[in-house]
Amino acid sequence: MRAWLFRLSTKHLWEHPGRSLLGLLGIALGTAVYLSISLAAVSALRSFQDGVSAVAGKAEWRLMSPGAPLADFLFTRVRQASEVKAAAPVIESILDLSDPHQGPVLLLGLDPFSELPFRSYEFLSAGQVGARVWEDFLTRPDGVLMSEPLAQRLSVKPGDTLPVMVGSSRRVLTVVGLFRSSHGLYPLDGSVLLMDLAHAQELLGKLGQIDYIDLLLKSKSPGVAEKLAAQLPPGVDLVQPGSQGLQMEGLVAAYRLNLSVLSGIALFVGMFLIYQSVTLSVVRRRREIGLCRTLGMTPGQVLVIFLAEGVVNGLAGGLLGLFLGVFLAKNALGVMTQTMSSLYTPVAATDLFIQTPLLVKAWVLAIGATLVAAWLPAREAARTPVRAVWYREDLEERLANKVGQFFWFGLGALMLAGMLASVKIGNSPPYPGFAAAFLILLSFALLTPAAVKWWGRTLAPWGRRLWGVSGELGCRYLAGSLSRSAVSIAALGCALGMLIAVAVMIGSFRRTVDDWVSRAISGDIFFGPAVFSTAAYDRFLPSEVIPELQADPQISDIYFYRCVRIPFRDRFILVIGGSFEVLARHGSLWFRQGEGQELMLKARSRGQVMVSEPLAEIFGYREGDLLILPTPSGPQRLTIAGIFYDYRTDGPSVWMDITLFRQFWQDRHLNAVRLYLKDPSRVKEVQAKLQHRYGQRYHLLTLSHADLRAGILKIFDDTFALTYALEGVAIVVAVFGIITTFLVLIMERERDLALLQAIGTSRRRILGMVLVESGLASLLSFVLGALSGSLLSLLLIFIINKQAFGWTVRLYFTPGIYWQTLVLVTLLGLAAGAYPAWRALQSHLAAILKEE
Amino acid sequence: MIVLREVSKTYQRGAVAIHALRGVNLVIESGEFLAITGKSGCGKSTLLHLIGGLEPPSAGQIVVAGRDLSRLSEVELTLFRRDLVGVVFQTFNLLPLLTLEENVALPRVLQGASFHQARDEARQWLAEVGLSDRRQHKPHQVSGGEMQRAAIARALINRPAVILADEPTGNLDSGTGAGILELFAHLHQHHRHTVIIVTHAPEAAAHAGRVLRLHDGQIQP
Ligand SMILES: Nc1ncnc2c1ncn2[C@@H]1O[C@H](COP(=O)(O)OP(=O)(O)OP(=O)(O)O)[C@@H](O)[C@H]1O
Ligand SMILES: [Mg+2]
Repeated sequence: MRAWLFRLSTKHLWEHPGRSLLGLLGIALGTAVYLSISLAAVSALRSFQDGVSAVAGKAEWRLMSPGAPLADFLFTRVRQASEVKAAAPVIESILDLSDPHQGPVLLLGLDPFSELPFRSYEFLSAGQVGARVWEDFLTRPDGVLMSEPLAQRLSVKPGDTLPVMVGSSRRVLTVVGLFRSSHGLYPLDGSVLLMDLAHAQELLGKLGQIDYIDLLLKSKSPGVAEKLAAQLPPGVDLVQPGSQGLQMEGLVAAYRLNLSVLSGIALFVGMFLIYQSVTLSVVRRRREIGLCRTLGMTPGQVLVIFLAEGVVNGLAGGLLGLFLGVFLAKNALGVMTQTMSSLYTPVAATDLFIQTPLLVKAWVLAIGATLVAAWLPAREAARTPVRAVWYREDLEERLANKVGQFFWFGLGALMLAGMLASVKIGNSPPYPGFAAAFLILLSFALLTPAAVKWWGRTLAPWGRRLWGVSGELGCRYLAGSLSRSAVSIAALGCALGMLIAVAVMIGSFRRTVDDWVSRAISGDIFFGPAVFSTAAYDRFLPSEVIPELQADPQISDIYFYRCVRIPFRDRFILVIGGSFEVLARHGSLWFRQGEGQELMLKARSRGQVMVSEPLAEIFGYREGDLLILPTPSGPQRLTIAGIFYDYRTDGPSVWMDITLFRQFWQDRHLNAVRLYLKDPSRVKEVQAKLQHRYGQRYHLLTLSHADLRAGILKIFDDTFALTYALEGVAIVVAVFGIITTFLVLIMERERDLALLQAIGTSRRRILGMVLVESGLASLLSFVLGALSGSLLSLLLIFIINKQAFGWTVRLYFTPGIYWQTLVLVTLLGLAAGAYPAWRALQSHLAAILKEE
Repeated sequence: MIVLREVSKTYQRGAVAIHALRGVNLVIESGEFLAITGKSGCGKSTLLHLIGGLEPPSAGQIVVAGRDLSRLSEVELTLFRRDLVGVVFQTFNLLPLLTLEENVALPRVLQGASFHQARDEARQWLAEVGLSDRRQHKPHQVSGGEMQRAAIARALINRPAVILADEPTGNLDSGTGAGILELFAHLHQHHRHTVIIVTHAPEAAAHAGRVLRLHDGQIQP
């Protein structure tokens, strides 16, 4: 096939650059969104993992105890074990910088004499000063080394002081020197401080304790590690340092998957645009194709030409999308690290980690998407009969004949979606659910032609009654130009459906969470060093506070709260110790089944535990099952007394009575308390009193129930900010679609309109006709979107969300989104129709009629 | 040689069957110049389309240059049209985005020639139909008669065995139309292809070797 034949395509491209550009932009936006989300997610996780591996250094193994520190003497014992080549004790905590700086900073307490085989830090002060630095580091109890990037960011020099919050106390550290990590890798994007182990123990209140011990063994054979593990006391585990990163990945996997599916949807809508732009091109060029076929062009050649047009769109649009995507990713990364920090764990990443495979993948996806989207119209073009040179309406007829076929395929797809929705594959992500979501969108797209036909015909008499002849003609035109209108109605319907579905899902979810806060979280005041932070599992209430609170006459009840995060199978979970008896008195947890008060008291007396619904869903537990929980006192076999609704995001959780918790964890720390007042109306007064009493000494939050609720809902809203942004893009893409369609639809009909005008139809009437048509088209998109969106929202709420996160979300009707989209889409449709119609009426009648 | 045996064509429009051709038997010798006339709707265009392999007959057999059209596959039929048939339409049907030269070259490129070669040949044919100075123009920049001349050049560039022309003068004034008919006759004398021309113009009969009258889908004796 001669390359020159593609000139036909390029000539059309130059003739109508705007049209081609829209299809191209659609795919570009879709690709950009998809890429930016993957890039941002990969970069955020990568920075977390870099952090983990930077801290791990060359360590091959790590000794740690689930959610608890190790005793000092274990280090001495392990170091002498015959299997061990080198060992280094580490203590770590995330502190908050305080005025004038802010943000989290990782403090690593190290024993410099054990470090050499593991981590190599380069001290940045040269010559004699270097010796000073060493000395200061080892001798000054407040001396820390600061990472070079952090020092640059904060403009801190050696010798400066650094105020920080340690747990609930304000402390001032002194920067004795700077360091650089050997590979330039730092956790938390460089926010790292190093401190001598003994000083760190004192600073963090962990005298005689270390958080973990890094190890190098004498041999890499697994037998050696097993032998060492066998000598360890119960509750001390030998793990690989990298597993931490994997477990964090497990925790955020569902969040990531949801985002990538959402971003995939933007690409899907982009596909519609390509489909539409190729279809339009086929429709407009039917005569030309017929002629070429007459002159001897084979169907195969026609197919190749139109596929090539689609693919060129994909290549160029995809390429544009890559640039746009990298640009967007920089913004998405900020939002995403913030979300991950408030949901899961502190993450800091400022640099985009651009992976070539990801770029290639996005580009290939864009090209693949356009190929798929261009395939159908290209095939249609290849089947154009030679007669198309003479007969114009043939395509409409053929399409009209296929409406029934499409309809049945659509119903079939819908049924398949229903079947897939009821499939659950073990513990894996809800792939069948996503497939069902795709099928729902597809089925509505397939039902569209039938709906358009029916809609146009049914409404024609009404159109006549309401707007006279122009009303009726508008309706008939709509039903009569299926090949063009159906595609854009389907595309817009799809985008609207997704918007509605996601809005209903988020709205319901928000209401559910709100209900949960008021129903399952009791307490008048929440009092502790940190309430919303995901970095705060080791921040405790100062011990002298509790007796003082107990003595306070205004407080009737105190609920103790203790929380640790431990690795469990493929992810992190939370283990929470609480005063069950107090909770039972004040509304208890919100159980899936069973009476709360009774369950909690029973669990307390029998040493049983409660698990959150996500934990039960993700790992497949039921009420009464046995759970084997790793604890510092060794694995414990615990019976699950009940499963409760829980919407916290930092991990699925296991709850037990505080006495049981203290038995396993062997400490008396508390992360926070809930206070129940004798007179709940005096919350403000008590809040002020607590601040007054402790504000000087400590940094402690006193939140009322309303504050807590507001805080939780704010995190919720922040989380979905990105989702809304993604939705917005899908809508913009679809809006492009509808505008092009109407432009082309009316332009195609310029002749007809001019003719109508020539035979004496008034401009008003013609405009009316076009407006009726475009108005009805957008109305129909809305109806289809509302139907598919409602179905999708059920799928999202009851299947996908449930399988991905384990959350039961109650469905709440959200009428707002329906009428908002209705207004938006109607206005848009009218505007998109009015402009080209107005243009058509401005042009010279004679010129239009003479052409051809 | 073109042979039609008992050829019928019926269009089914819903419940209504339209018999465009009924049992046509016809033999056209190679190199013949045949004119077809008849009232509107009598089936002239249909007959032409069937011979050109543009549409299949409902019944009967059509053999053109030794090929039984009903036995050809879709692709073979396309190649048959490309290599053996040249078509001239009443409405010219030039591609508006291509220059006259490119329009004429198109069938040759479809045949597999390089564009340069095709363009050189197109120039020769344009010269032969008297359009040398218009070859870089787009169709809308030239007159109807000139467009039709270009269309004729396009029909001839692949040196087909048969030229089919459906009312080639229908959209032209009588003077221009006469010029086009003369061109057909001139080219026919030169290249000796078979010409089948549907026309209402009485002058056509003067150029044609034989005039065929169609009435209601049948050949009138
Ligand atoms: N695609 C079609 N569908 C239905 N009927 C058709 C179709 N093509 C042609 N006909 C009918 O077949 C009959 C013959 O048509 P044809 O075009 O061959 O007539 P014609 O002799 O060329 O007329 P004219 O001189 O007006 O061009 C007509 O009655 C016409 O309506
Ligand atoms: Mg005719």
